[in-house]
Amino acid sequence: MIYFDNAATTRPSLAVLECFEKENEQCFANPSSRHAYGREAYRKLEDARLSILKSLSLSNDYRVLFTSGASESNNLAIKGIAKEYLRRGKRIITTQVEHPSVLEAFRSLEKEGFEVIYLPTKEDGTVDPETLKENMNKETILVSIMATNNETGSNNDILALSKIVHSFPKAFFHVDVTQAIGKRDLPYSSIDLFSFSGHKIHGLKGTGALILKKNITLLRQIDGGDQEYFFRAGTDNLPGDEALAVALEEATKNLQDNIAHAKEISSFLREELEKNDEILMNSPLEGSPFILNFSLKRKKASVVTEALSHEGIYVSSVSACNSKGEPISYVLEAMGFSKERAMNSIRLSFSRENTLEEAKTFLNTLQNILERTINR
Amino acid sequence: MNYDHIMIHYGELSTKGNNKRAFIKELGKNIRHALKGYSSLEYHSDHDHTYITLNGEDPKPIISLLEEVAGIQRISLVYKSEKDFETLAKNALGLIQNEEGKTFKVIAKRIDKTYPKHSFDIACDLGEYILKNTDLSVDVHKPDISLHVEIRAEAAYLYAHSYRGAGGYPLGMNGKVMMLLSGGIDSPVAAYLLLRRGIRIECIHFAAPPYTSDAVLDKLKDILAKLNIYQADIRLNIVPFTKLQLAIYQNVEEPYCITIMRRMMFRIADKLAKSHHCLGLATGESVGQVASQTLDSMIAINDVTNYPILRPLAVVDKIASIAMAEKIGTYEISVRPFEDCCTIFKPKRPKTKPKISECEYYEKHFEWESLVDEAVKNVSVIIVKDGVSTFYQHDDMQDDDEENKSEAE
Repeated sequence: MIYFDNAATTRPSLAVLECFEKENEQCFANPSSRHAYGREAYRKLEDARLSILKSLSLSNDYRVLFTSGASESNNLAIKGIAKEYLRRGKRIITTQVEHPSVLEAFRSLEKEGFEVIYLPTKEDGTVDPETLKENMNKETILVSIMATNNETGSNNDILALSKIVHSFPKAFFHVDVTQAIGKRDLPYSSIDLFSFSGHKIHGLKGTGALILKKNITLLRQIDGGDQEYFFRAGTDNLPGDEALAVALEEATKNLQDNIAHAKEISSFLREELEKNDEILMNSPLEGSPFILNFSLKRKKASVVTEALSHEGIYVSSVSACNSKGEPISYVLEAMGFSKERAMNSIRLSFSRENTLEEAKTFLNTLQNILERTINR
Repeated sequence: MNYDHIMIHYGELSTKGNNKRAFIKELGKNIRHALKGYSSLEYHSDHDHTYITLNGEDPKPIISLLEEVAGIQRISLVYKSEKDFETLAKNALGLIQNEEGKTFKVIAKRIDKTYPKHSFDIACDLGEYILKNTDLSVDVHKPDISLHVEIRAEAAYLYAHSYRGAGGYPLGMNGKVMMLLSGGIDSPVAAYLLLRRGIRIECIHFAAPPYTSDAVLDKLKDILAKLNIYQADIRLNIVPFTKLQLAIYQNVEEPYCITIMRRMMFRIADKLAKSHHCLGLATGESVGQVASQTLDSMIAINDVTNYPILRPLAVVDKIASIAMAEKIGTYEISVRPFEDCCTIFKPKRPKTKPKISECEYYEKHFEWESLVDEAVKNVSVIIVKDGVSTFYQHDDMQDDDEENKSEAE
C-alpha cells in the first residue's frame, strides 16, 4: 500500500495509541467529578492544555478548548464570535476557497442577516492582503482565512493578513490551521483564535481543539454543562485530549525535519510530473510541501484514481459535486482554472511516513495507467 | 382466548394438478427457511393448507415474514377448535368478544361432509348464539368482523383475520433466470418481482474497472443481502468487461455504442445462462426510460439470444419502481453516493431506433468473439448467502462448476 492521502487523514502514531489506551485504563474518571479520582483527571486535562500551548510556544494568554475536530472548532469560532459580538458590527469576511466547515458556517450566518464577504484568491490560491484591506471596514468583526489550503497546499501569509485585521480594533482574526499545524512555521501569537484536528497529524479521529485568546468570549453552540470554560458542553474526552497533546508534541518537535522530508518527496514528484505533457500542476511552488495537486489534461481523474486504487495506491480526487451533479473542485474554479481542469484534479498528500521510493513507484504506476487509459 | 395457529392458503397452486405435491413440499421448505428464527413452531401440511402451531409465539412478526414468501395466497390467524357444536359456539363467542367492532357476520364452510349441520345452518346457529350473548348486531354486507368457520375432518378452524400473501409459486418451481444487475434502482426491484413470482435468480454484473468503481461491488453485495429474505443464497457473476468495452468504443460509431454494448452483455449472459442451467434472462429495463430501453432497441438487443428475456418493470414507471425499492430496502443502497467513472462511455447522441443490420455491420469490423469468450472465462463470483458474501476468483471456480453439473443431474 502507498498512502498519499494524508490530507484526508493520517495513521495514528504508536505514542498516540499508547497514550489513549493507557489513559483509558488508568484514568477513566470524569474531569468534572468532585472526588479525588475526578480531580486527578482534571489535573491531567489541564496538563494536556499546557502541553499544547507549550508545543506551539504560546503564553498563557491563550486558552485551549478541546473539541471533536476542526469542523466543530471552525463552527464554534465563527458562529460563536459572530453571535457574541454582533452588536459591534455585522460584516464578516472569509475566502472562496475555505473548507466547507468554514464556508457553510458563513453561509448560515449570511441567512441570518450577516453581511458576508467571500474574498477571491490569486492564481496561486492565496489571498492578496491588499484585497483583504479593501474589504475591511469599521463594521467588520471577524475575518476567517485558512493557513494552508487543503486541496492545493497554497500558503497564506498569515502575518501580513493579521496585521491588516488588527488595524481594525473590533475585528477578530480566526485561522483554520488544520493543514498547516505541525507542517509549517506559523506566527500563532498573531492570531486571535485557530482550529485544528488531531487526525491530520497522526492523532485520533474525533479529537481537535480551538485555541483562543483569553479576552475572547464565544456564544456557545452546544448547551449543557460548564466544561471548556463554559464554551462547549459535554463530558471531556481526557484520553483523546491527552492523545491530541501527544500528537501535537510529536508533530512540532521535529517540524523542520518533517518539512524537509516532505519537501524532498514533493519536489521530486513535482519535477517529474511537470515533464509529463498529460499533467497540469495546480499547487503553487511556494505552497505546502505536504500537498501536491495536479490536473489531467486528457484523462478522467476519477478513472485514474480508481486504477491507482486497484494497484494499492491511495490518492484523492474531488468528491464534492456542483449543482449539476458533476464532481468539481470549487477551489480550483476560484483560482481561475477551467471547468475541465477543476473536474479532473488529483491530490497527493504526504506525511513523515512516506518515502522517496514510494514516490518513484507512484510515478511508474501513474505513467503506466495514463498510457492504457482512454481519453475522456 | 388467543389464536393458536396460522393457516396458509396456497392460492394459484390449486391450478397445478399433478405437480401440486411437489409444489407443497417446496413451499413447506421455503416457509421453514423464512421462519428458521422461530424454533418452537410446528408445521403440518395437507392438500389445501399448511398449518403452523404457534406454541405461544407472537404471530405478528411471523405473519410479516410469511407475507414475503412466494406461493402463498392468504395467511389467516386461526383458532383450532373441537368440532362439536357446543364447544365450537363457545370458542367462536370467546374469539369474537376479543375483536373490535359493532357488527359481524359468520361465514361457514363444511369440508367434512359427515358433519351433521350444513354450512348455512352452522352460520345461522353460530350467529344466533353470538347475538344472544353479546351486544353485537349482524350486518351481512359490511360487517366490522367477519368470522370464518371451517369444519374439517380433524377439527374446526375459526378465524377473523386474513392477510394477503405474495402470490405466485414457490421459489424454484419455475426454474432459474440470469438477472442483469447494475446496482441502480431498477434491477434490484426487478429481481424482487421475479423472486416473488417464485423464479430463482442468479445475477450477472458487468464491471469495467477502472472506468467503473469497485464501490459498486459493495453495493451489490448489500443489495443481494436484502434479497436473501426471498432467496437464501444468490450467486453474483462479475464479468470483466473493460477490454470488450474499449474495443466497442474504438470500433463502433458513437450512436451505436450502447446498443452494441448491450448485445455483448446479452451474449455473455446467454453463455453463462447456458452453462449454469438458467431458463431465461432478466433485466430491470422499463420501456422508453432511456435510449437503450426503447422497443426498437430491445429488438436489436434480443436478437443475440434465444432465451426469453423477462423484464418485470417493462411497464412500471420510475416512481412506482422507487416506491418498491424503498419497501424492500434496496433504494438507500442504490442511491449511495459514489463516483461513477463510466460517463466516459456515455454517448452524446445514442440511437433510439437502432437497426439489427447496422449492428451486424459494426460487429463485422472487430474481433469480439474472442473477447466475449475471454470475459466469460474470467468471471469471478460472489455468493451472498444469508447476508454473508464470499468471493471466488475465477481460478477457484472449477470445483463450483462441477457442483453445478451434479446439481443438474
